[in-house]
Amino acid sequence: MKIDPFRRELIKNGLVTIADNMVVRVIRTARSTLVKNGMDFTSSICDADGDMVAQGLALPSQLGATMPALRGCLDYFGDDLEPGDILVNNDPYSGGSHLPDVFMFAPVFAKGERVAILGLVLHHTDMGGRMAGGNASDSNEIYEEGIRIPPSKIQVRGEPNSTVLRFIEHNVRVADKVLGDMKAQMAALNGSAQEMRKLIADYDVREFKAYMKDIVDYTERLARASIAALPDGEVEFTEWNDDDGVGNGPIKIHVKLKVEGDEITADFTGTSPEMGGALHPNYWFTVSITYAALRTVLPADMPNNAGFYRPIKVIAPEGSWVNPRFPAAVGARGQGGYRLRSLVLGVLSELIPGRMPACTGGSEFGIVFAGTEADRKPFLHLEYHNITGHGGGPDRDGQDAGPYCLDNNANMPVEVIEAENPLMVEEYGFIQDTGGAGKFRGSLGIARQYRLLADEALVNLRSDRHLHQPWGLCGGKGGAVARSLKITNGRVEELPSKFIKRFKKDDVFRAEMPGSGGYGDPFERDPRAVLEDVRQEKISIEHARAAYGVVIGPGALEIDVKATQEARMRK
Amino acid sequence: MTAYRLGVDIGGTFTDIVILAPDGTIFSKKVLSTPEDYSRAIESGVVALLAETGIDAGELTEFAHGTTVATNAVIERRGGKVALVTTRGFRDVLELGRFRSPRLYDLRFRKPDPLVERRLRFEVEERTSGKGEVLVPVDLDALDRLAERLVEEGVHAVAVCFINSYVNPENELAAMRRLQARLNDIPVSASAQLLPQIQEYERTTTTVVNAYIRPVVERYVSALVKRMRKIGVKVPLTIMQSSGGVLPADLAASNPVYIIESGPAAGVVGAQRLGALQGYDDVMVFDMGGTTAKASLIEDGQFIINPEAEVGAGETVRHRLLQGGGFPIQVPTIDIVEVGAGGGSIAAVDAAGGFRVGPRSAGAVPGPVCYAQGGDQPTVTDANLILGYLNPASMVGGDLVLDYGKAEAALADLGARIGQSTTDTAYGIHLIANANMMRALSSVSTERGRDPSRFTLVAIGGNGGVHAGGLAESLGIRRILVPPAAGLFSALGLLFADVEHYLVSAYYRPLADTTPDRFNAAVEPLAQEAHRLLRSEGFTDAAQREIEVQANMKYVGQTSTLPIACKAFPADAAQMAALAEAFGESHNQHYGYRSDGEPLQFVALRIIGRGRSTVARMPKRVARAQEWIVARGERKAYFGPNADWLTATVVPRRDLAKGAMDGPLIVDEYDTSIVVRPGWHAKLDDWNSVVVERT
Repeated sequence: MKIDPFRRELIKNGLVTIADNMVVRVIRTARSTLVKNGMDFTSSICDADGDMVAQGLALPSQLGATMPALRGCLDYFGDDLEPGDILVNNDPYSGGSHLPDVFMFAPVFAKGERVAILGLVLHHTDMGGRMAGGNASDSNEIYEEGIRIPPSKIQVRGEPNSTVLRFIEHNVRVADKVLGDMKAQMAALNGSAQEMRKLIADYDVREFKAYMKDIVDYTERLARASIAALPDGEVEFTEWNDDDGVGNGPIKIHVKLKVEGDEITADFTGTSPEMGGALHPNYWFTVSITYAALRTVLPADMPNNAGFYRPIKVIAPEGSWVNPRFPAAVGARGQGGYRLRSLVLGVLSELIPGRMPACTGGSEFGIVFAGTEADRKPFLHLEYHNITGHGGGPDRDGQDAGPYCLDNNANMPVEVIEAENPLMVEEYGFIQDTGGAGKFRGSLGIARQYRLLADEALVNLRSDRHLHQPWGLCGGKGGAVARSLKITNGRVEELPSKFIKRFKKDDVFRAEMPGSGGYGDPFERDPRAVLEDVRQEKISIEHARAAYGVVIGPGALEIDVKATQEARMRK
Repeated sequence: MTAYRLGVDIGGTFTDIVILAPDGTIFSKKVLSTPEDYSRAIESGVVALLAETGIDAGELTEFAHGTTVATNAVIERRGGKVALVTTRGFRDVLELGRFRSPRLYDLRFRKPDPLVERRLRFEVEERTSGKGEVLVPVDLDALDRLAERLVEEGVHAVAVCFINSYVNPENELAAMRRLQARLNDIPVSASAQLLPQIQEYERTTTTVVNAYIRPVVERYVSALVKRMRKIGVKVPLTIMQSSGGVLPADLAASNPVYIIESGPAAGVVGAQRLGALQGYDDVMVFDMGGTTAKASLIEDGQFIINPEAEVGAGETVRHRLLQGGGFPIQVPTIDIVEVGAGGGSIAAVDAAGGFRVGPRSAGAVPGPVCYAQGGDQPTVTDANLILGYLNPASMVGGDLVLDYGKAEAALADLGARIGQSTTDTAYGIHLIANANMMRALSSVSTERGRDPSRFTLVAIGGNGGVHAGGLAESLGIRRILVPPAAGLFSALGLLFADVEHYLVSAYYRPLADTTPDRFNAAVEPLAQEAHRLLRSEGFTDAAQREIEVQANMKYVGQTSTLPIACKAFPADAAQMAALAEAFGESHNQHYGYRSDGEPLQFVALRIIGRGRSTVARMPKRVARAQEWIVARGERKAYFGPNADWLTATVVPRRDLAKGAMDGPLIVDEYDTSIVVRPGWHAKLDDWNSVVVERT
């Protein structure tokens, strides 16, 4: 069959529109703020065999997650699929990701033939288990983390499967929210399946299937052409996680990246073995993050589909920290995923020097305050503040509080926290002198300080980077490390990066999140840029002198040219 | 004296000037904008148009204006030097933002830098709790010292935004008054006065944007007024707001955040009024220009108002689900969805043989290949010319002759790279451009659960009439309306709008604790102020003053609020119950469910005061003074592989007065064409719009 490039573009456009509409349907009807504020969902359209053809707005960490989860379902059900069925799967050991990510799939039929499968994954608020929200760093087995839903049919020929739904309902904490979100997820799939049937009806079924295959092939060509434009070579990089969540560490994460013609291999051999805890990414999460980080050096308009994955090979030895074995816990693998991001971006900086920025700052901060208010009403506050800004780049400073392109989580408004919880936020702002020094400075670290207003609460912190700072590049310094402080009546106690602790009324918790890495020799930084940072109180006069060799003052905020020259000579 | 009315709309490249005579005659002029001082092009354009028409400046009775000056001041960062005063511990709220990225995977993306540098953001000792108790009163002595510093710094404006001032603005207002007393004529604004809404970043940004653009807009308005006086135009100036009402220029200048989306709003208002006049309550507005296409929905005669917009994003790749490219401003804004598809959108083939149209645009300079002004990449306009949709003899006001040969060669070249004929390539470009624009149209309709087929498509903008037919077929729409002067319709729409004032105040209390008396006592001062403003603008008869009361409400514990209209004011117990019911209904509509057992909370009160003119804002019929006379005749036009090339009749608009004509038909106009596809027919209605309907 001859492929008409206009027709292909129109079908591609139509598929992306349907995938986007699926997301809009979910946002409109879902109940939890996680879905609405965290944008924690991904929609996709696969062909009849499970190859992804189009994706709607996707969370970067879910980029490669759809196909393995669908494969898990197809392996179990084979051809036992009928119009109106919806499959469900959240099992990390059946192709899933972590338990809160519940995948659902709806096969679409035309003229009795399976033409496509729609997929929608949503992060749900709770899946049961020993810790609300399923984010505990210190679980050791998947059994501690909640209900595993093996590949099942949650809707059979258009009818919801009440057995599966009731099992879920009886095993999760906030059942109304979770079931509400699941129904929204099913409704979105049903609505989009109808839209999909309408699109297919405009074409001959065989022709439509051929175009779906061709869209994937076309993307593969595009991906290969873009990879071929990268320099060939073999480069390595190492990153560190402070610990594994239960006290073992540090964890070494290593990658060797090989670019050979139009193919890329990312080999994680040399990474520490899995130990305990729930921070390690399972294989498909490792793959997704690798895809996402590689996308930053490929064209922005590359379609997300199976064709993009084909020229990329990911090797993660079984039993290593980036591919733990059953029944390892993986609930808090989100944190490990951030270390993988900085690892792959780091190895790219070796491959294409002079193009990548230094490491993004942040401690992958996630906190839970759980307790009861004076009127015995329970409260649960959960928020993430994963990153803090941009690393210094080859031609400019890292932007303070610059948004991360591999994450789209918003921070939580202070006023919303205070309106809904017995908490007072006492500070949210930059910390002076914490950006990695460099010719181009890394962004500043950020402090967030809470006071507990209720009598008592359990505080669960998930964070990292207390020991290993975000790295600098080409002579640039790393960003300041993170600190966790508990302040009781003026007495300051330093806490580890991960803990579960009981706090009392008026106890204060202060998180100091790291700054980003700097780029280039700080002594080559334009003294006027250093002076400007001092004027803006982003760095102190002392730091200007110590880190940059720029002498300012005394008295007026002016550069002492002579003293600066001397200081920079003495380096 | 004849009552001529003047409307001026500034666009990216051109400034459109229209004069509307009482009999509905439209005189118009398109001039190049003068970005260094937009009022200059307005002055010379108006002078020229008055000279051409022989109308005396003294005969103008109204001057309405849509302007991009406010938006551009943010994008080009030409605003004033602003200081921000905030609560201890929160100096960086403005710069921290929300960490949202509108461009995933793009390591180069940076959000716009904050409009107030860190050294001009000052913390003061004060604190109000999340429940509204004042924990620490504001330190007034410290404010006195701060005032001296601000004078030394030479700031142009001061914004005050304290944590939790949306619950209780006491500290914030005290600080504002103290600073104002010390700073004399440097304007000081408090966030709770502008918008008492939860979420410190959004409230701070809105207040800061307002303070930042105020000096620019004030300067612009006074320069414009001065220039117009000089040429004898003495009628008061009104400016279009993002919400679709006009405001006296001095008020707009002191609250310029309300006029950010001034230009696009006017087209929607025009379409809404036109729909109402002709009995079409459900209208989809499709506005296609050179670089973008916009869509908006009017349902039951009402357009949809968003509580928030973003400003200063510049040329980012827009995705309807991604935010963070600019500064969020929380002011009522007509819901308009924009996509990067216009006449200037460039067609290209990528490294893997994929075919793309836009979002890159050739703009007005160098423009499409057929403009022969140096453009060498084929665009949507080039494709439309080759397909026979545009008149090759002339376009762009007849000033520019289109170069058919150049366009054909460029398209043949592009087609050869993918093994396609010139015709197929041109039609492919046309279809892909349509598919891009469909996204805008479906995101205002199907995405909201509306069936587009029951809407009338009002096509405006330079390219609206060329593409509307194909879009209508895809959407199942059965009627298209192309008003006269479609290419200048925004300027015309300015003249149909009413005066509108938005007044707000914080009102944070549970519905259960609110008696009708207390509610009315809180609304009353706002209502009085609205009446006073309207009276001062000449709406002296009570019947001319329409006061709408809205309460922003939410379920206790929820973040976002919904505006609920209070239908009867003063409110009684029944009305309070009606508010709860209306909230449930609105919540169901927005989010798909309602929770009737849950307690409700007021957050803010809002008054919209509208001044209704005693004379009709719209003439009974409009027509261009010199309707472009094209040579009547025939032209070959391509309508896809099934219909193939057909011979289309070509007529000027006025020929349709004699009766309906069947497609294939092309109505050639002064600055655009209307393509009537086979299976459709066109006629004129009594307002002189071309009505294209399914046969």
